[in-house]
Amino acid sequence: MHYLTDPLQYIFIQRALIAAVIIGVLCACLGTFVVLRRMAVVGHALTHSALPGLVIAYLLGGSLFAGALIATVLTALCIGFLARDESVYEDTLVGMVPNIMFAFGILLISTSKSFRDLFSMLFGNILGVTVGDLHLIMLIALVSLMAVFLFYKELKLFAVDPNYAKTIGMPVKAMHYGILLFLSFTVVVGIQAVGTVLTNALLVIPVAAARLLTDRLGRMIILSCIFAVMSAVGGIYLSYYFGSASGASIVMFAALIFAVAWAYKFIQKAMR
Amino acid sequence: MKFPYCQHRHSSPDPKAPALEIQGLGVSYSSEEKSVLHDVDINISAGWVVALVGPNGAGKSTLFKAICGLLPITKGNIRVFGHPLGACHHRVVYLPQRSEIDWQFPISVLDLVVMGRYVYLGWFKRPQKRDFEIARHALKEMNVLELADRQISKLSGGQQQRVLIARALAQNADLLLLDEPLNAVDTITRQTVGEVLHKIKSQGKTVIVATHYYDQEEGRYDKAIYLKDGKKISSTDVKEDPNNEGCECK
Repeated sequence: MHYLTDPLQYIFIQRALIAAVIIGVLCACLGTFVVLRRMAVVGHALTHSALPGLVIAYLLGGSLFAGALIATVLTALCIGFLARDESVYEDTLVGMVPNIMFAFGILLISTSKSFRDLFSMLFGNILGVTVGDLHLIMLIALVSLMAVFLFYKELKLFAVDPNYAKTIGMPVKAMHYGILLFLSFTVVVGIQAVGTVLTNALLVIPVAAARLLTDRLGRMIILSCIFAVMSAVGGIYLSYYFGSASGASIVMFAALIFAVAWAYKFIQKAMR
Repeated sequence: MKFPYCQHRHSSPDPKAPALEIQGLGVSYSSEEKSVLHDVDINISAGWVVALVGPNGAGKSTLFKAICGLLPITKGNIRVFGHPLGACHHRVVYLPQRSEIDWQFPISVLDLVVMGRYVYLGWFKRPQKRDFEIARHALKEMNVLELADRQISKLSGGQQQRVLIARALAQNADLLLLDEPLNAVDTITRQTVGEVLHKIKSQGKTVIVATHYYDQEEGRYDKAIYLKDGKKISSTDVKEDPNNEGCECK
């Protein structure tokens, strides 16, 4: 039992755990719609887009959150705007714009004198969450989760049959931009936990594991939340006891849950 | 009354007007300069079941999408139950080719059918007990009530078609646009769709079925309209021309 309670004596671990639970729930709720709308690639792209914003904010001594948020939202809007007239396919833009942003971020890093803080941008450092960060994480999570709750019905229809949603008058373009915007918020929060390189894993892996175990949307969201929180908390404990990188530990924990879910499903099928 | 999502004002159908009246219609996709439909004129009486016949690429889906407002009209006009497009939003429903719907989505058949009630609910309101009752009734009408709790990925092609029609009935639509419901289905499903069309017709609803295969011997259509390369090439009132034997467009 003391293995579980020992780390809790440290304030920074307590803060990290609170942040992990909130980020886990947020990533799972948004991630469910990202996966079901087949937007996992967009999530991956947005996580990479945050890098130049983070680096510029760091170099100017500004808020890293604000830097990442601006870069991510700008990328999301840029993709949406350029894809508007379909002269370039959206998936081509998704494969192009964020990589340009990521390359720009690396370019900026190479001109910087200190690489130490930039390592945590790339791979996350949930153990370094400050009280200010925690407040911002709570605010973003509250707004995003409220949006999912309020527009749950519309998000569901938009994901299963977007054409029908349009014929009954739903503003599907605005909804698409809305999902991209809240995805940007979630990505920025996720970066705090697992960094720009691995945030998409936290959005997608718990949801993919939940999808293996249920065919009902409500249950899928709840299971995804449980798996994401387990991954985030488990990763922090792994990091504490083995001195491993926190972001990578969280993602590996999520991968372990996915493997167990897949094995369960496989055995269940084989026994039928 | 206004539509909750788009705030268009709703007009009740004009009982004397045709279900669908199209004059000189031209439609093009936004990124393409070339028009997909050219000067199409169509007139369909209320309560008729009509076959829209043509090979792949003839413009059948494009026409449907224009009728339900998914594509902008570049030329001509469309009137539904005597009103301009949009005024009878609730009354028109487009049933896309089954491949356009994500059948792997994790919801039950009842959840999918109750989506037909969303047009009356608008933002923030959740479906109530009455909405679920209407959805169950629509499933019963289509003889698939026993599938209500089944996950939508576990439906056969014919069951999918009937569930989509149940959603249209839950919406209380009067003009149904069915896009290739007979495409790649077995004989039993083909018969089932025929029965379903007969049932919908008996309720006084108007149905247009896009198909590349037309067999008048099945006796389910009142009229056949032929499209090719985005143009209407002919139309036959089957009621007035019993010798028309049908065709298969390739």
